[in-house]
Amino acid sequence: MLLSRKLKKYAFFMPMVIWLLVFLLYPTLDLIRLSFKDIGFVTEGSTGYTFDNFTQLFSHSDFYTILRVTIIFVFFSVLLQMSLGFILARIMVAGEERGLLGTVLVRTSVLIGWVIPGVVVGIIWNLFLTESSTGILNYWLNTWGIGRVPFLSDPTWALISVTVANVWRGTAASMIMQYAGLKVLPNEIHEAAIIDGASFIQETLYVTIPAMKPVLYTNLVLITIKTVNTFDSIISLTGGGPGRSTEVLALSSYLRVFRQFDLGSGASIAVILFTVNLLMTLVYSRLIDFDEEKGRTV
Amino acid sequence: MRKKDKFINIGIYISYGIIILTFLFPLIWIISLSLKDLQNLFAVPPKIIPDTFAFENYNRVFRQSDLGGYLINSVKIVFFSIVGTLIISVPAAFNFSRLRFKFKKGMLFGVLIFQMMSPLIIAIPLFRYFNALGIQDRHWSVILIYIAIEIPFQTWLLKSFFDSIPQSIDEAAEIDGCTRLQTLTKVILPLSAPGLASSIIFAGIHGWSQFIIPFVLLDNPDLYPISVGILNYQSTVETISTHLLAAASIISIIPAVILFIAMQRFIIGALTAGAVKG
Repeated sequence: MLLSRKLKKYAFFMPMVIWLLVFLLYPTLDLIRLSFKDIGFVTEGSTGYTFDNFTQLFSHSDFYTILRVTIIFVFFSVLLQMSLGFILARIMVAGEERGLLGTVLVRTSVLIGWVIPGVVVGIIWNLFLTESSTGILNYWLNTWGIGRVPFLSDPTWALISVTVANVWRGTAASMIMQYAGLKVLPNEIHEAAIIDGASFIQETLYVTIPAMKPVLYTNLVLITIKTVNTFDSIISLTGGGPGRSTEVLALSSYLRVFRQFDLGSGASIAVILFTVNLLMTLVYSRLIDFDEEKGRTV
Repeated sequence: MRKKDKFINIGIYISYGIIILTFLFPLIWIISLSLKDLQNLFAVPPKIIPDTFAFENYNRVFRQSDLGGYLINSVKIVFFSIVGTLIISVPAAFNFSRLRFKFKKGMLFGVLIFQMMSPLIIAIPLFRYFNALGIQDRHWSVILIYIAIEIPFQTWLLKSFFDSIPQSIDEAAEIDGCTRLQTLTKVILPLSAPGLASSIIFAGIHGWSQFIIPFVLLDNPDLYPISVGILNYQSTVETISTHLLAAASIISIIPAVILFIAMQRFIIGALTAGAVKG
């Protein structure tokens, strides 16, 4: 009687557990297995296991190009999203405290990019930055005497463009998280600093930012994971090119498997991506309170 | 002091203006492109507000592409994924909120890993299974995976809503003779209506953006959702039809943007709770 009541309680977990095991856990483990096999799309070549996929991957210089591109893309995306997010949040909080109008409009404009599917973000920025005669940015730069900029055809500029488009799309999350963080800071700490004669910049650097540390860490980890996994906006913006100049890790796995039909190397890159995801989740789990908390806040 | 205040206010308003323009301009430009005829498209200097509004571009996109079909597919897939996700996540989240048991932390961590994991990771093996089973190219099989991908996030999100409802309410319902399921559906869910609303919006926006899963599991273009469909459309478009691609882009984001603007207040709370992967 008691046992069956207990079982009934846990039955609420059943659908979730089944779904996660069948559709997420099993394929993930299978991917790891596949990365050690000589595989084609439908067949598994030989029966044995091999490190070939990884040794081939690591011995090719392309892999290091991809790592470099990924690190630059992630580093600058995260840095810019967090600092822009902080500035925007700070301005919005200041505006609200002064009872100014328009805060909601600001918030909405920033958040719209976050609602748009990644593939469409790429198309929008492609049309905006295009070097063809329909591109407005290049027209302006030209008339201002700066000259045309090869936003999408020069390797360095393409990487900058891809990063900027990603910042446009992703800043909203950082802005909202930091806005919430600023809102819960007690007012006294600002006031105390100002009474002590601190300038705005000193107050920000030595009072606000240290007080926001937990929020900033959470923000940092979450958007780093998010950015490492981003590739849909790059597909439609540059397609990873020119050359491999905007081919990040996730995009590389996608291109290898679904464009070049090279399942082995695509799977091994996906395993590397999974490892990064796993490590970042471990870091994130240290920052949040798992148990018995009521109404989790940042 | 008053004068200084005024200066600061003006400064903030100027910053507001710059922020709004920076973030909206790429979109404004796409709307502008979408309303241009060929002549305006290549006009020098390019105008933000075209001389004449070529609304027929939108008609042409619908007539010349399968965009309408893609939209319907998206609505269908997203709708059923939301329903399925909630049916599975709500009871699980309720348990995570109410029960204390030995492996709770481990289980929550397990769920979290899947929330953070890129769907690309499961896409490769899933492609093989679906082909082997002959169930690729079906909407229901894609919906199963959309649900799987969304469950972890929703379970965490819903747990945080249920956490904010005191347990004494469950106890009162049980004394009144409710079973656990009745407590959940008749007492707890009505109380968490705003939370459910934000759940639905998140699931909707995530589903609308989902790309890799339908890209991998659907071969037949008639079945594509908008995210895959528009990429397909982009690959067929030349510079000369930039205005049509722009119109297609606007069409593809309108449902999500409207849903978001109308229901914004439900999402901001959840976003600020840090429960969001971004």
